[in-house]
Amino acid sequence: MQVVENLKVKEKLYIEKLDNGLTVMIIPKSGIQKKYIIWGTNYGSNDSKFIVPGEKEETEVPMGVAHFLEHKLFEQENGTNSLDTLTALGVNANAYTTNDHTAYLYECTDNFYEAMDEFMDYVQHPYFTDENVEKEKGIIGQEINMYADYPEWRVYLNAMEAMYHNNPVKLDIAGTIESISKIDKEILYKCYNTFYNPSNMALVICGDFKPEEIIEEVKKRLIETKSNGEIKRIYPEEPRGIVKEKIEQKLEVSQPLYAIGIKDSRENCNTENKNEIVKKHLSIEILLNLLIGRSSELYKNLYNEGIIYEQPSLDYEFSKTYAHVIITGQSTNPEVLYERFKKQVEKFKINGINEKDFNRMKKMIYGGYVKEFNDVVDEARMFLSDYFKGIISFDYIEEIEGINVEYLKQVLDNVFKEDKMVLSIVKN
Amino acid sequence: MEHKEQELKKGIKLHTINTDKFKTNLIAVFLTTKLDRKTVTSNALISAILRRGSKTMPTQEEISMQMEEMYGASFDCGLDKTGDNQVLKFYVETLNDNFLPQGGENLLKISVEKLLDIVFNPITENGKFKQEYVEQEKSNLKQRIEGKIDNKARYALDRCIEEMYQDKPFGLYKFGYVEDLENIDESNLYEAYKKLIETCKIDIFISGKINQNIEEEILKNENIMNLEQRTPDYVVSNNNIKEKKQENTVTESMDVTQGKLVLGLDVNIDNEDLKYDVLVYNSILGGSANSKMFQNVREKAHLAYVASSSYLRYKNNIFINCGIEISNYEKAVELIKKQIDDMKKGDFTEEEIENAKKGIIATIKTIEDEQDTEITYYLGQELTNHVISVKEYMDRIQKVTKQNVIDIANKISINTIYFLKD
Repeated sequence: MQVVENLKVKEKLYIEKLDNGLTVMIIPKSGIQKKYIIWGTNYGSNDSKFIVPGEKEETEVPMGVAHFLEHKLFEQENGTNSLDTLTALGVNANAYTTNDHTAYLYECTDNFYEAMDEFMDYVQHPYFTDENVEKEKGIIGQEINMYADYPEWRVYLNAMEAMYHNNPVKLDIAGTIESISKIDKEILYKCYNTFYNPSNMALVICGDFKPEEIIEEVKKRLIETKSNGEIKRIYPEEPRGIVKEKIEQKLEVSQPLYAIGIKDSRENCNTENKNEIVKKHLSIEILLNLLIGRSSELYKNLYNEGIIYEQPSLDYEFSKTYAHVIITGQSTNPEVLYERFKKQVEKFKINGINEKDFNRMKKMIYGGYVKEFNDVVDEARMFLSDYFKGIISFDYIEEIEGINVEYLKQVLDNVFKEDKMVLSIVKN
Repeated sequence: MEHKEQELKKGIKLHTINTDKFKTNLIAVFLTTKLDRKTVTSNALISAILRRGSKTMPTQEEISMQMEEMYGASFDCGLDKTGDNQVLKFYVETLNDNFLPQGGENLLKISVEKLLDIVFNPITENGKFKQEYVEQEKSNLKQRIEGKIDNKARYALDRCIEEMYQDKPFGLYKFGYVEDLENIDESNLYEAYKKLIETCKIDIFISGKINQNIEEEILKNENIMNLEQRTPDYVVSNNNIKEKKQENTVTESMDVTQGKLVLGLDVNIDNEDLKYDVLVYNSILGGSANSKMFQNVREKAHLAYVASSSYLRYKNNIFINCGIEISNYEKAVELIKKQIDDMKKGDFTEEEIENAKKGIIATIKTIEDEQDTEITYYLGQELTNHVISVKEYMDRIQKVTKQNVIDIANKISINTIYFLKD
């Protein structure tokens, strides 16, 4: 096992790639009762077109298959449901699907190993029937409808729609009622066999464990599988420009919700160099806080004028095929907010960045990342999702020191471009 | 882990939780006062005004800058309805000194001082709050009150509670009412603030690696020295038998895709000790993936994605939540009622009871693994006057029998069925 130690957060990561291709990461935490395990596959809602290893033809599946699979994997051949079995052990089990990965997990204090038997068994043994696939359509249909009533989710997805011509990040992770109606057990098996190969997966364990012992427990529970070779994923060509600058939807809300998106391109940074990605991500976080964070001039003015009444949430999201800045919140006048934000960006480009403010933000971002290592759940999830992006989570803590004003200025010029900005609004 | 409490003055308590499990220190100040239609809005506004500035940090940019400078200390406020009380909550979370790039900054002491300053030493102008701040926060609070409709599932729950507690303190909306705002100004709001500070129950919590003698520091703190002792004006949660009520059905329309169904149940118990039985009951009814709601409403009938229940222990109510196809309303209500009836008949196994207990105990065990959960746990004990150790809590759950759960099932009645549709 390789050991990566970080002296700043005083944590160690033990990492090993097993013979079957599975990556195992262990973060020991002494004195904590809570134990957490998460097993993910690098397969999300964006992977709907691919070539199965060994085949020549492309396979295209309906929207929402990765999420559907996540729901169905709990079903067992003997008629039991693994979610019930795990819950009966007193562990808190769950699963989720994102654009680029699907993960299964549980959190517990007792019965960790009994739960691990069931957990590792069900992820490795799919059992789909026509009947159990059909039944799930009603449940997922209600999940889709639930999201349709979340104005925050609508305003976000509409911003994706305005930025992306073809990239599937603009689609609902769960698909639509129409698209899931086409899913059957053959499709599920095909996707499972393609993407749930150990070489496409990673498992993270966080809690009071001895790494050498727990990794043996993992190995013991793995069934024999061969690495299935490279999966060729086909993503549509995405033009650099946006689709349209503004998009609006009507929903019954008290005040308009907004999402400002800035389309970025993964080509803007050297994807082979993971440190560059981390540095860029950190720089964008610093920039966003300088531009419109709680202590910024723009925030103060917008607040005093009653245009915003809460701190916007500021994010940079990226995977291997897309990257964008996304600013969301509620505002009495999103149009004005958007124009003022654009002006502030221009002002920064001309006047440069104040060194004192920059240093303060660096300290703040540093503290924020240290806090991520406070809880076994947050920590394990972070390691998993960063891993699928080619990043070891400690990198953020290490890279921040090396960022300077000149670098920040470069990122500002390259990413915060006016012709890449969109405004999405949901209002009455 | 060591939890200590100390009465600084009558009605003012300091709680310290010394632990080295975390990379952070969490400091909290809670002001608890009884929920009252006359003060609910002004209290909500006070909570917003205090965020705007103190005598030493007169603007919110100043507060933010100082927090950022402290390695991103997070300052946060909240407002809660806990039983018949309104609780104003203020938090600062900072890195503990072991995780600072340069040592020796003593962030704990500084953050305690800053938080106390924000809560007890607000910026004033001619003996009043700043007019500018009051006007801005009035308009922000108006937006927040009106924002009640934005999260439809939450709205349905709030509306169900309002229907169940008409003209009672717990039926009040925690952010108050728009029509009250008109009569509030910087002068009467400051008077309201002074009265609140003189009469409310004050709890200060510090959780983290506490090296120095923080108790002494706090006793010497000027803001604390200026506080008078008091007989705090809050309501100790008690268990009253509820009046028998006809089942009330309320349907409302809004622009929704999915129907939001909430059933508010009364739990008729008069004894704190029975609450452990109710926790087990709730877990079997709708508290987990093995529950009757999840299994029968979601997995077997496929009527919903969310199908669960939660127990509000301060008021002895259980709320059942479901998101359903609007046309399935009757079918869903009938099926949910069947689950409640099956519980009364004792239609559940010993195994279901054991599983429920395991789930509850696992949650109790992690209380000490999360700083905010632990603080909330001790605050809950303060407000109920019911002190019980984590260990004893688990023992009590362990002792619950099938008959106990059936007895609870037969003390439960449906108070209100609320449905939000298109």
